[in-house]
Amino acid sequence: MSSHTASSSNGGNGSGDSGVPKRNSKRPKYSKFTQQELPACKPILTPRWVVSTFMLIAIVFIPIGIACLIGSRDVVEVVERYETECIPVLNRTNKVQFIQSDADKTCTISMTIPKRMKQPIYVYYQLDNFYQNHRRYVKSRSDEQLKSASKENDTSACKPEDIANGRGAIVPCGLIAWSLFNDTYSFSRQNQSLTVNKKEIAWKSDKQKRFGKNVFPKNFQGGGLVGGATLNESIPLNEQEDLMVWMRTAALPTFRKLYGKIEVDLEEKEVINVTLMNYYNTYSFNGKKKLVLSTTSWIGGRNDFLGIAYLTVGMISFALSMGFTVVYFVKPRLAFYNEDFQMCPASDLWSMVPLVDSIRFSYAVDSTTRDLVTLPSYHGTEVLDRTKNVCRILLMFKTHPSLPIGTEALHHFGTSLLIVTLMSMECLKHYIDSGRILLV
Amino acid sequence: MSGGWERLKGSRSRTTRDSSFHTPAPSRTVTLGRVQPQAPGHRTIYCNDREANLPVRFKGNSISTTKYNFLTFLPKGLFEQFRRVANCYFLLISILSMTPISPVNPVTNVVPLSLVLLVSLIKEAFEDWKRFQNDMVINNTLIDVLQNEKWVALPWKKLQVGDIIRPPCCCYADCVGTVKKDAFFPADLLFLASTNADGVCYIETANLDGETNLKIRKALERTWDYLTPDKATEFKGEMQCEQPNNSLYTFTGNLIFQKQTLPLSPNQILLRGCSLRNTEYIVGAVIFTGHETKVMMNSMNVPSKRSTLERKLDKLILALFATLFIMCLIGAIGSGIFINRKYYYLSLDKAVATEFNPGNRFAVAVLTLFTLITLYSTIIPISLYVSIEMIKFIQSTQFINKDLHMYHAETNTPALARTSNLNEELGQVEYIFSDKTGTLTRNLMEFFKCSIGGEVYGSGVTETELGGAQRNGIKVQEVRKSSTAIHEKGFNFDDHRIMRGAWRNEPNFDACKEFFRCLAICHTVLPEGDESPEKITYQAASPDEAALVTAAKNFGFFFYRRTPTMIHVRESHVEKMGKIQDVAYEILNVLEFNSTRKRQSVVCRYPNGRLVLYCKGADTVIYERLAGGNDDLKKVTRAHLEQFGSAGLRTLCLAYRDLSPDTYESWNEKFIQAKSSLRDREKKLDEVAELVERDLILIGSTAIEDKLQEGVPACIETLFRAGIKVWVLTGDKMETAINIAYACNLINNDMKQFIISSETDAIREVEDRGDQVEIARFIKEEVKKELKKCLEEAQHYLRTVSGPKLSLVIDGKCLMYALDPTLRVMLLNLSLNCHSVVCCRVSPLQKAQVTSLVKKGARKITLSIGDGANDVSMIQAAHIGVGISGLEGMQAVMASDFAIAQFRFLTDLLLVHGRWSYLRICKVITYFFYKNLTFTLTQFWFTFQTGFSGQRFYDDWFQSLYNVIFTALPVIIVGLFDKDVSASLSKKYPELYKEGIRNVFFKWRVVITWAWSSVYQSLVFYHFVTISSAGGKNSSGKIFGLWDISTMAFTCVVITVNLRLLMMCNSITRWHYISVGGSILAWFLFIFVYSILRENVFFVIFVLMSTIYFYLSALLVPIVALLGDFIYQGIQRCFFPYDYQIIQEIHRHEPDDNTRAGLLEVGSQLTPQEERSYAISQLPRELSKHTGFAFDSPGYESFFAAQLGVYAPQKAWDVARRASMKSKPKTPKRN
Repeated sequence: MSSHTASSSNGGNGSGDSGVPKRNSKRPKYSKFTQQELPACKPILTPRWVVSTFMLIAIVFIPIGIACLIGSRDVVEVVERYETECIPVLNRTNKVQFIQSDADKTCTISMTIPKRMKQPIYVYYQLDNFYQNHRRYVKSRSDEQLKSASKENDTSACKPEDIANGRGAIVPCGLIAWSLFNDTYSFSRQNQSLTVNKKEIAWKSDKQKRFGKNVFPKNFQGGGLVGGATLNESIPLNEQEDLMVWMRTAALPTFRKLYGKIEVDLEEKEVINVTLMNYYNTYSFNGKKKLVLSTTSWIGGRNDFLGIAYLTVGMISFALSMGFTVVYFVKPRLAFYNEDFQMCPASDLWSMVPLVDSIRFSYAVDSTTRDLVTLPSYHGTEVLDRTKNVCRILLMFKTHPSLPIGTEALHHFGTSLLIVTLMSMECLKHYIDSGRILLV
Repeated sequence: MSGGWERLKGSRSRTTRDSSFHTPAPSRTVTLGRVQPQAPGHRTIYCNDREANLPVRFKGNSISTTKYNFLTFLPKGLFEQFRRVANCYFLLISILSMTPISPVNPVTNVVPLSLVLLVSLIKEAFEDWKRFQNDMVINNTLIDVLQNEKWVALPWKKLQVGDIIRPPCCCYADCVGTVKKDAFFPADLLFLASTNADGVCYIETANLDGETNLKIRKALERTWDYLTPDKATEFKGEMQCEQPNNSLYTFTGNLIFQKQTLPLSPNQILLRGCSLRNTEYIVGAVIFTGHETKVMMNSMNVPSKRSTLERKLDKLILALFATLFIMCLIGAIGSGIFINRKYYYLSLDKAVATEFNPGNRFAVAVLTLFTLITLYSTIIPISLYVSIEMIKFIQSTQFINKDLHMYHAETNTPALARTSNLNEELGQVEYIFSDKTGTLTRNLMEFFKCSIGGEVYGSGVTETELGGAQRNGIKVQEVRKSSTAIHEKGFNFDDHRIMRGAWRNEPNFDACKEFFRCLAICHTVLPEGDESPEKITYQAASPDEAALVTAAKNFGFFFYRRTPTMIHVRESHVEKMGKIQDVAYEILNVLEFNSTRKRQSVVCRYPNGRLVLYCKGADTVIYERLAGGNDDLKKVTRAHLEQFGSAGLRTLCLAYRDLSPDTYESWNEKFIQAKSSLRDREKKLDEVAELVERDLILIGSTAIEDKLQEGVPACIETLFRAGIKVWVLTGDKMETAINIAYACNLINNDMKQFIISSETDAIREVEDRGDQVEIARFIKEEVKKELKKCLEEAQHYLRTVSGPKLSLVIDGKCLMYALDPTLRVMLLNLSLNCHSVVCCRVSPLQKAQVTSLVKKGARKITLSIGDGANDVSMIQAAHIGVGISGLEGMQAVMASDFAIAQFRFLTDLLLVHGRWSYLRICKVITYFFYKNLTFTLTQFWFTFQTGFSGQRFYDDWFQSLYNVIFTALPVIIVGLFDKDVSASLSKKYPELYKEGIRNVFFKWRVVITWAWSSVYQSLVFYHFVTISSAGGKNSSGKIFGLWDISTMAFTCVVITVNLRLLMMCNSITRWHYISVGGSILAWFLFIFVYSILRENVFFVIFVLMSTIYFYLSALLVPIVALLGDFIYQGIQRCFFPYDYQIIQEIHRHEPDDNTRAGLLEVGSQLTPQEERSYAISQLPRELSKHTGFAFDSPGYESFFAAQLGVYAPQKAWDVARRASMKSKPKTPKRN
């Protein structure tokens, strides 16, 4: 038969059917793909792998965690909450009314530097309960308009802050720009004022590409209600860094924004006086306002989270690797073969022996001698005196002439798999009673 | 492509006639006079006159099985797609997302939906294209058509009603005309003339009903002469016949010819799809064409089956919808509460749109509900269905269809998955319903052993014995074939003691002589072909008979000619070695075989006047009729019978009786009387036969092997171990069925057998009385009694710990009553507790009933396997239908979901492909569930911190491409390549299959585990990323915005989800690496480009990547997210391992099985002769009560009727069985 010759002539190592295929033969062509024999690695999550993976994670994570923590601890941060303090005591019953009035809102607070702060010192304001991520708020802007002067009238997304009454489009339009933060801070120490550098506080990409240099504020805050800061109409948007910072909307309702930089070192225990103009209304929605002075390190501002997370995960991994190691020794795996030497799922065993939590079996069968052998001691099993204890099991195997699993399997079980031959409940009980099967 | 579509359109235009003929359309006025309006009841056809037929507009002969054409493709295809709930849902979401309440851009939903639709439509188009090409091949097959007094080869599609055509026989195709291949009839034909004498032709109807025995059709005497072109041109007839219908066995019509009306019967009709045999060619007139032919009218729409897993998937999707709704409801309520004018920066004054109007919180909540639905729509994995479809499609077309393990070289047939819907269903089958003939057996009877005068001859070993020996651990020794061994069709016997005339030297050579003569004389076989031993073929109603006659031939008693009264036998070595003489025996009477008599006798007269009755039959009936004495021989022979029976052989006892002329004459008178009686002829004949069939002398017994398909017992054994129960449903007699069940190891003597048969004396007695109502009532009572008894007994056995395994044998008549609604439960209870069930003498309908009984009653997953038309109903009733392809007709294959060439390939189909598919699909589904849930949940957690406003966390395009690009490919790779254990291990440990039956990989528990993992991971993603990103990032103290953080989170999600996929892989090929790496890379490439182009995420990735924070998070978050799963997997594998994991570990250090070597083995295993050469002598033989009588004679009546040219109506069981005549598939010689 030609198909025979075809198949026997190509004994080559899988390079396809080199034999002359019979004409009209529908014999499928050999390919590793269709025969599903693509070379593959077969990862098996053996205990050794589990333990070493955990170990590896621990080894990598703990140092990183420590480094992060140190980096974060290097950062000196001073936070001063001021939204209540900066309301005159008399007005504190109705803060909203005060903030909306024309009263003088100058307010002075002082901050004590706990530790020497190296320049640059970053000044942030932090708002609370302010939903910059609200759907209505986020989309209320026009990126086109911000970028180029020609798209000035592209304000469809900006409602209701899109067009000033009769004066054309508002630039920059939308709720985000409209609600621009307008508290201002000026710092002094020992009556000597500290300059706050308000340059380079926005991301470079914002400055260069997103905000146009020919775009000038127009009709801004000209409406009936003033939401926040006003903008100098002679300065193009790409230099209005406060606006850029504000318009990079925050992800969470609690957020910090960069206000400026103080480019001198501050010494420990120095008292910094801050004169701030408390214009911004967070009182309507009970929002907090905070002033933050912070240095940075290689990791950025003060944020212990990463460090703690790394450290915790590293330690948990270490503990797990230890735990798994112990558990594997104490409580080895099992699968078992029933009377017909057919593999049963381990769960069937539990249904057969409902009262027992787990059973440790210590013997297996040598296929050549059909003798019972004890499993290697590194499984944590004790070495048994086979003459005394295992006679019944031996008998059992004598009645079964063929065994599918033999010694070589036994060796391969290596890490943790034991074979269990379960003969009957009585037998099992006997072994449990006599202590040869350990209950864990 | 476009050309193809054009052609497609052409072939589709069934309503218009093919107008490619050159004859100009005659004007109506000319032909009007002859046109008669087509009455609805009948059609009038003018043979050989195209013009006359023209006005009637008969349909053309081209067929089309395509679903779409060029115009209908888009609307119809889209309609099909939107019948899926998921697609409809996404359409709805897409529409919703175009409204202003949507937080996302419409592209988010439109892009994935259109991609999914596109892929599905491309697949549909591809499949339809293939169907179209198939049609084209068929439509363009050539056939000789009479045109201008010449035979002209035209393609089938050009045929028209009324044409005279000349289909040749496929065997003679080489020498006749231009038509060479597959000489099937192209349309339904009226048979006019044949090259055979007497206007007879032989046809094979395998394509219609699976029967391969030849049927005889006879033309009307008046038309016999119209064979040559010039003669045929003169043939002008008018035919009036019924309208096209789907009844294969009826036809009514008249031929008005030479002013005479000749009635037509089915005997003159040749149906499309049949093929001509033993006839050089015939001439016929086309009656029905194309889709109006009977076979096409019969072609049923295969009901599309959905897998159980997919139905369960629907439930999962529903659960997801519920989750979605709950999430949206929470968000909606939250938004109603949150919205407040105090957030002045949101400008929520009076003019604000309703969706944010604090004055109407309810409206806000309702609108937010819709907003959130569009936002969370990703929870429903849109690409799931299309991915699964793609995976299954590749699985079936690339893996199943191209598996070399399932390629059968002898018949040159690879496996064929006809549907790709059911791949994973193959991994969960619990019940297999199998046909017997042609499925378990080859329908090939071989004379294998015999016992003559108390001596066993024949040294072969049956498959059953081999299997038994291997189970007992005995090594099978190879026995060299001796030089005397002869193996031909029907004869596979070797014993040097009696071959080549050596029997003369045997001590019992007289018995031998009688034995051989009995074989040569006592039969109803017709010899055919050349009268030489090499060339002759025997036409027999049953393959057993042919085997026996062939055996006689090989023993030197060559039966070569039969006349109505004589049988001619060429006997060698009788007088002395080497001498040959022709002897003619006069056949005086034939006492035919039937199922009650279970025997057959022939009374013959030797040339020397000796009168002998030769009888062969079942051991039980023969032994009853033996003459006294010679008990030793009887005992020994009985022992032999039992031995044969347990080896799975079919036995017959042979006996003879010398008759004195006086006895014969007096008996013959009675016989003639009985034969000519008009009432109860059958019964009277039986009674008369009883008179002479007594005082027989036993000669011996024959043992015929009903040759099992290769590897059947081993396959069944494997399936048993896999937890699959195999039921045999056969139209055969109970004895045959039990015999085969023994041969296949379905039943053995250790089993407790429950036999419910209608062949009991009590039932027969009632039947003889003939009152139908009474019979029905009585049998029902009996069946009920039996069932109750068996059930009680079975329960008793089940309660004892080590009771015997149970088996049930039931026959069709009892089954009919047992399937009655009142008894059905009992039957189901009993049969489900049985290890194996054999139903015999069942009709095709009953096969289907039994199948659906288990399918619906027990809610188990069923598979039916069969090869013939009688199995079609069963194949369609089961969850999965498997057809045996390569040998017989196409009906079973056409109805099936999978077609394989051999029963044993079921092992590969189920244990390897089915199991893998199941595992893979489960993984794919659960993974889809996980990745979409995880993704959506991060979005959900974000909603809580945006004042429930429904602000999206991710950019639109992130969201829309998440499913279709960033996580799409790896999961498909897993669906294709994941492999827990190798194919050979799957077969070595069939028990692994039980995991599929128990459905352990797609339980709610599994889904919930994944859901927990999703919740955990999404919490990690959201909170780790947001918390750690607060405060200044990088040393310049700048702060991240929303899009920076969401991009960070999305990066983590993409990395984690892709790595999670690797974690669940059992085998990782480089495709895994490429796809996983590629997906992650695709994300980065995308974001690099996208962030330059898009406003809101402008430059974010560059901003992010300029900070150390990015790298720290990208390392931390995925690992923390995966840690939970990793711990779970570690614990699961160690303490609650799945079976496959244990096997993996056992064979961890073995290299992947070298299946290449295995394939070579498959190739070399294929000759049955070689396999037969294995033998053992020391096999311990158990004596059993089972003697294995079986003698099958399907359709005696119809066979002989056919021989006489009389059309006998089909009987129910005739369809259920088919006679032998299995000719080896011939590869047509080219040129």
